[in-house]
Amino acid sequence: MNPVYILIVTFVVFVSDTLSSAYGDSWEGVRETAEQGNVIMQAMASNNLIFVVLGVSLIIWFVLIAYLIRIEKKLEYLEQKHPKE
Amino acid sequence: MPKLNIWKYLLLLWMTVVLLAAFLIRVPDIPILHETSRNLFFHVPMWFTMTVVFGAGLVFSIRYLASNNMRMDALAESATLIGILFGICGLLTGSLWARFTWGTWWTFAEPKMNLSAMAMMIYVAYFILRSAYDDPEKRAKIAAVYNIFAATTVPFLLYVIPRQLPSLHPGADGNPAFSDLTAPELRLVFYPAVIGFIGLAAWIIQLRYRYLMLRNRMDRSAAS
Repeated sequence: MNPVYILIVTFVVFVSDTLSSAYGDSWEGVRETAEQGNVIMQAMASNNLIFVVLGVSLIIWFVLIAYLIRIEKKLEYLEQKHPKE
Repeated sequence: MPKLNIWKYLLLLWMTVVLLAAFLIRVPDIPILHETSRNLFFHVPMWFTMTVVFGAGLVFSIRYLASNNMRMDALAESATLIGILFGICGLLTGSLWARFTWGTWWTFAEPKMNLSAMAMMIYVAYFILRSAYDDPEKRAKIAAVYNIFAATTVPFLLYVIPRQLPSLHPGADGNPAFSDLTAPELRLVFYPAVIGFIGLAAWIIQLRYRYLMLRNRMDRSAAS
């Protein structure tokens, strides 16, 4: 399967939680709403929210990876244009 | 998608697994530390990586002096820069950790903090020294000699002196940092994390080195 397609589906599953009901106008009861929602959201809210920190770290890590690969790509292009003597 | 060496794909996978394990492993709940004992998997490898990378820089500097090969100078420069990068990460993560466990961002009573900051400054001076010379050969030679001096201070500033002084930081008062107090299962994630971060540093050093070499080639082709 196309990895982009898988990414989009995963993203939709994640945001569909927010779009259904938890899109509130007030900040009250954040603690309670954090524990509602689908199975994924309940798991995310368990264990003192440590999985939220994991999510944040993984986002940083994957963005970092993407950036390193982009630099690789650009270097590769320039290295082909200016080959070693 | 560029064609990466196989070790880079392995590294990406390895680090992702380490990151997941670092969060998912069950850590003992120690008073004051609580979940921050997981910082062991991130903060400490920064210093391990920095030490290894500075050590590599020392080797490249010595090899430059032995061979007068400018590639060795570029490698030494790249390694030193990435070493500083990891050292800064170590200082920042340590400071944040200290805020929530020691109650302060920075304290001048803590030898390890201040001496590691001093080691950073010695290495920053390496780049200031480099910037003072226009002639590449001269710059490479002076920088290599300075780097040998800088690298010899690291073991003393980071490992020897802090262990002789009283401190809140683990690894003080003549103890190794990893004592019997540390839960043994933490090592299962800690050592893979060290390997992963060293690999990551090697990748970034390689990128920097390739950039320097490419810049040389482009400058030369522009001049001719």
